Amino acid sequence: MELEAEKSLIQAESSDGPNSNSSDFVAHVRKLLFRRMLVGIRDGRFFLGTFHCMDKQGNIILQDAVEYRSTRRSSTSPMEQRCLGLILIPSSCRSSCHVGCSIEEQLSLLKL
Amino acid sequence: MADDAAAAVSVPERTSIPSGDDSVWADVSPLLESACKDLRDGELIHGDNFNLFAAMSALEIMDPKMDSGIVCKYYSIDEAIENGAAPVPISINKTVDVQCTIDIMDHLLACEATWHKGHSLAQTVFSCIYLLRPDRTSSHALLHSYCRVIRATCKAVISVVSDARTHEEDDLFTMAYGLPLDGDGDEKCLSLLNAVEETISRQLRACKAPSSRRRVLEDMEPLQTNLDLEEGYCKALLCRLRFRKHFYHALTSMRRPQGRGLELARKHIATCISELDCIYRSSDFLRSSACGTSEDGIENRTTASGCQPIGFDASLNCRLSAPTPPRAIKILSWKKLLLVQDGKLYGRDSMFTVITRAAVLPEVAKNHDVQKNEYFVQLGQLVINMLKILCTNAAWQRRKLGKMLQDWRVMYVQLELAFRKEFGEVSRIPEDENVCVKIFQHILLWVEEQTYWIASRFLILGFELELYSPSEYCMVYWYMYVVLIKLSEKTHLKMAAKNDMGKRKGKKKRDSAKDVAREYRIPPAVLFLQCQICLAEGLTMMLAALRNEHMILQSRNPFNTEQERFIQHFELLQKACIPDHVSFHSFRESTTYARLSTLVMYNYFKDAQRIAKEAKSSFSNDPDKLAELRKIEQVAEHNSIALNVISRVGALDPTLKASFEFSHHPYFATAVVKRS
Repeated sequence: MELEAEKSLIQAESSDGPNSNSSDFVAHVRKLLFRRMLVGIRDGRFFLGTFHCMDKQGNIILQDAVEYRSTRRSSTSPMEQRCLGLILIPSSCRSSCHVGCSIEEQLSLLKL
Repeated sequence: MADDAAAAVSVPERTSIPSGDDSVWADVSPLLESACKDLRDGELIHGDNFNLFAAMSALEIMDPKMDSGIVCKYYSIDEAIENGAAPVPISINKTVDVQCTIDIMDHLLACEATWHKGHSLAQTVFSCIYLLRPDRTSSHALLHSYCRVIRATCKAVISVVSDARTHEEDDLFTMAYGLPLDGDGDEKCLSLLNAVEETISRQLRACKAPSSRRRVLEDMEPLQTNLDLEEGYCKALLCRLRFRKHFYHALTSMRRPQGRGLELARKHIATCISELDCIYRSSDFLRSSACGTSEDGIENRTTASGCQPIGFDASLNCRLSAPTPPRAIKILSWKKLLLVQDGKLYGRDSMFTVITRAAVLPEVAKNHDVQKNEYFVQLGQLVINMLKILCTNAAWQRRKLGKMLQDWRVMYVQLELAFRKEFGEVSRIPEDENVCVKIFQHILLWVEEQTYWIASRFLILGFELELYSPSEYCMVYWYMYVVLIKLSEKTHLKMAAKNDMGKRKGKKKRDSAKDVAREYRIPPAVLFLQCQICLAEGLTMMLAALRNEHMILQSRNPFNTEQERFIQHFELLQKACIPDHVSFHSFRESTTYARLSTLVMYNYFKDAQRIAKEAKSSFSNDPDKLAELRKIEQVAEHNSIALNVISRVGALDPTLKASFEFSHHPYFATAVVKRS
């Protein structure tokens, strides 16, 4: 009980602190909710949607997702797209994950 | 920094997906990873609008059951074509080209049948790459014309089904979802087909002509290079082309308004059936001349030759098939598709028979004013709805019929009230009102008859859909028995009333003796029902007796009592009081005292056999009814024997048990006696 109380106190104190803390990462990811996220899959497809949910295993749910795929195996080829709606991307098949943001934000992300 | 650079290099395509004005794609993978480590077990990062229940409906990527876009062999149709998946011409060797074309035709027919059975268009018919790029085949007259006809046919079928509004989304998808159904110039498909047919006919004539005449027809280029096989291939192609032509004609004829094209459609369907026969017979020739086929597995091949057709890839179009889970589709095997049940073309026949049945619907006085009565109008609508429902698949049909029962019952009550209101209990009715009375009486009888018919069909469909467990057969047969009794009663009354009307019109004194004799002859339709009644009763009692004497193979149901199951199965019938005064208790009363010894003495199955034999003479020109009666006889005979065996030997051998299988009839079971 004491330990837990101490932990929560530390967390509450350091939430505005400049030093990175365990809960900072979670808070930052929370800020990414509802932003446009581009997830790459191992078979070469991409899914662009609104970041809706993530769990501890790293599985991601995207809302209003659009699937992008190239029409040829070679990388230089036009993309086809298709709307899918709500999708779950297991972390095991995720190869990349990007969020659309301003250049300043990108820099601050890198600092983390 | 390094991570970001690496990410940028490994996914160059990503840059072609725009991130919006003044924004870039920032890699968040490291951040996500760190956040995941900090999350507690079971903790989720989500917004206020998140709903776990709704999130369960999300499509899981890379799950083959939910993700229809998983990259298989080719990324796209164009890539497949570039890699030679659908060459035009199929081969430089004309013989091989013709062979492969026939394979494609056969496979397409199998795909079409599979589509009709309920699978998606994209994964069946349009798994053919040649169909997906209509312009590519223009140099190959045979393939081109065939593809055009297929497209036009599919389009016609879709509009026919959409117009009839008898389908549900899962039966037959009517949306094309971007598939190229509207080929440019497809309406002229028949003229193209005719031209190709003409050419092949001439080639057939040329190869059959004696060598002396052949010089005259020498300017005719043969179909392919192997002269020994020319006749076989020409014939094989001709019957396939002709089938397609007549099938398309049948569809367009049936679409003509007010049933004007029905006779023509019938003729086309008859031609189609004979062409199908030719197609089937061509398989021997095609298999023998095909290169590299193995004998095994021929049953499941989709082509007559047994060879795999060129140019098909169901995965390419996965994404264009409707928003359904991407199920793997098993294309109907060629043999199954051609062994069409009783000469009915897969599914199409039901609509045709429905339309003709509607035209023949019995109306006592067609133009009488009474039909303007609101109840008659409602009845008309009820009948139309019922006819539409009878066109649908078994599951939907049963559900809708069950719901209809109450409507029909209410209809009957309303009509009866209206009748009484109009004519009251007056015994002396003036002459001109007599016709009205007759109409009402006939219609009332007919409505009751239809109601019981619907009830019987509802119960019977339960067998087809395997909704009953063997331990419930007893109560189902019992209910069938009470419903069929009522049905036969009403049918008998209806026929008697019809005879009555007939008698009144042209009665002559010297025919009176004949009339009396005719009166005592039970009409064949009623006889037909009576043998079914005997079977149902026999099965009920046999099942009850076996259960009472502990000789039946059945598993105990731990979830519901027998009464609960009775209510579950027959709720709709009970609610509509079909029939009246029938309940679980009446069922129990009828069956509690059933014993094998009494059954042997009063053998319902023997009665069924006797009546069936008598009925057969009246149906000599109705092959369907004759077939049905034969099946009933078989069931009766086998059950009678089983009953005798088990009643005599059962007491001595406790290991003897009876089980019930549908080996002779789709819904009347045959008892099989075995040692357990």
